[in-house]
Amino acid sequence: MKPILEVKNIEKTYPNGVQALKGVSFDVKKGEFLVVIGLSGSGKSTLLRCLNRLHDPTGGEVIFNTEKGSADIANMKGGKIRHLRKDLAMIFQHFNLIPRHTVLSNVLMGGLGHTSTIKSMLGIFPEEDIARAKKYLKLVGIEEKANVRADQLSGGQQQRVAIARALTQNPKILLADEPVASLDPATCHTVMDYLKKVNQELGITIICNLHFLSLVRQYATRVVALKDGKLMYEGDPKNIDDAWFEQIYGEGAKEVHIE
Amino acid sequence: MGSIIKRAVFDSIIFAYLAIIALIVVVKPTEDQMLMLGKNSLIFLGLFVLGGAVSFLLNGAKIKTLGEQIFAPDHITIEKISKPWYKKLWTWQLLVVFVVTVVAGVNQTNFSIYELTDERGFSGAMRLFGDLANPNLEILPKAVLKIIETIYIAFMATVLAVPLAFILSFFTAKNVMTHPVAFVIYLGLRTFLNVVRSVEALIWAIIFSVWVGIGPFAGMLALMLHSVASLAKQYSEIVESVSDGPIEGIRATGANFFQVIWFAIVPQVVLPYIAFTIYRWDINVRMATIIGLVGGGGIGTMLIKYQGQAMWQEVGCIVVVIAVVVWLMDTASAYLREAIK
Repeated sequence: MKPILEVKNIEKTYPNGVQALKGVSFDVKKGEFLVVIGLSGSGKSTLLRCLNRLHDPTGGEVIFNTEKGSADIANMKGGKIRHLRKDLAMIFQHFNLIPRHTVLSNVLMGGLGHTSTIKSMLGIFPEEDIARAKKYLKLVGIEEKANVRADQLSGGQQQRVAIARALTQNPKILLADEPVASLDPATCHTVMDYLKKVNQELGITIICNLHFLSLVRQYATRVVALKDGKLMYEGDPKNIDDAWFEQIYGEGAKEVHIE
Repeated sequence: MGSIIKRAVFDSIIFAYLAIIALIVVVKPTEDQMLMLGKNSLIFLGLFVLGGAVSFLLNGAKIKTLGEQIFAPDHITIEKISKPWYKKLWTWQLLVVFVVTVVAGVNQTNFSIYELTDERGFSGAMRLFGDLANPNLEILPKAVLKIIETIYIAFMATVLAVPLAFILSFFTAKNVMTHPVAFVIYLGLRTFLNVVRSVEALIWAIIFSVWVGIGPFAGMLALMLHSVASLAKQYSEIVESVSDGPIEGIRATGANFFQVIWFAIVPQVVLPYIAFTIYRWDINVRMATIIGLVGGGGIGTMLIKYQGQAMWQEVGCIVVVIAVVVWLMDTASAYLREAIK
């Protein structure tokens, strides 16, 4: 079976000259929980944003294989990018919800990609979108908060709303950029457990940036490690020993455990 | 590099300015000579170039000029030996420029203690002031009707300006217009609005009073145009300060340009927009009273009529009405803006 994503030699140089990605290649298999690790500034966030074209890569290819055929994400233009983003949902470190809107309204925004501009601006969303939004709110366990303003929720709850919003898109892949980095350790596991549930129950492929190796071992089915914009390691999370750890995080780094 | 040019231009302007004043004092040109704009501009240009040369010479001799003091990059302004201020060239430059400008200013504004203390003039002013302080309340009903008209002029100008400014604000916000083509539109619109805004509402009122005739409609149009330009600028500054997170969040769902604006930006800007709009209405009420002076309708037109006939008691009544309404609007708008923060 073809991998769902084939990242080939992808590069990103920012206009200010910073080389965030220096030719990274790896495959993403359908249905896996792939975790990207690396220090801050190693290019993890840039990599994820190049996959759904929030950033434009400056070189390389990203082949996206679906049952409808293959397409090169890295060289897409205009409306096709918007179309692509429907298949690659994303959640963020700071949740990026709309604070003044209700939880349900935020989740419905996941359907913007397939709702006409006029209808969405008038607040008319298809019945099946509303049903799906409610279903996913239930899945992440906060259906009773549907009519509460998003900024009234705790960080962990906001991230769960963000997951529900992403799922409402009906994505094939879920990109998660440091989803637990601004949460406390206890809430961390709740959010990661919901991501695992999404991965296993809905069969959605997950690509997730993480800091903590202990979380990686617990949730990842496969790991890629970045350092200074280059791929350092690709494989089973259980095989990351102390030697690998020092290579990725630098000499003298110590592993922190989250229980 | 940029700082060197700025320094040289600044020093040259200061030099040419002082030199031209010295020239006027020494040569004592006639009025006809003063009116020869082309020739005088050439003289100024010559002095300007000379000033630039002097600035470079001084810089070569390591003497710090005023321009260098102001525009030099921080890292080279640290002096090794600190001289007392009266031994530095630039402090004397500053002092001389200031004193010369004050003297020239006294001359230009015909400043005269003699006129100010003239007894006949003073008693005339006191008589006028006395009339103003004893307003003729007979015209109060008419003044009230006219101030209501004025408030409506301001209201309509604001209401009609809001939707236009609202739409324009997104096209004049740097963080929205990131695409190269969009950036060209952004620059064009910004320039256009700056030009519109730099023309006083008073001038627009004169133009519109010729276009649509003297009256409240002309005044309303003038204020509206000015409000569009001002509000669009204030609105777009709010748009530029919104947080990027929600924008990224909405873009990632596959939303298009308009959906991103509506769902990610609009919720963040609504309340500040309302606050600025109320403030603009408040400003417009004050400006509407002035615009009437040049035929823009409302209470200003009434004021200029009585002032022309030197009917100071009637003018006094109108001034009181304006003062009360402006004060009320000011207070009310401050409370409203505070409440919706």
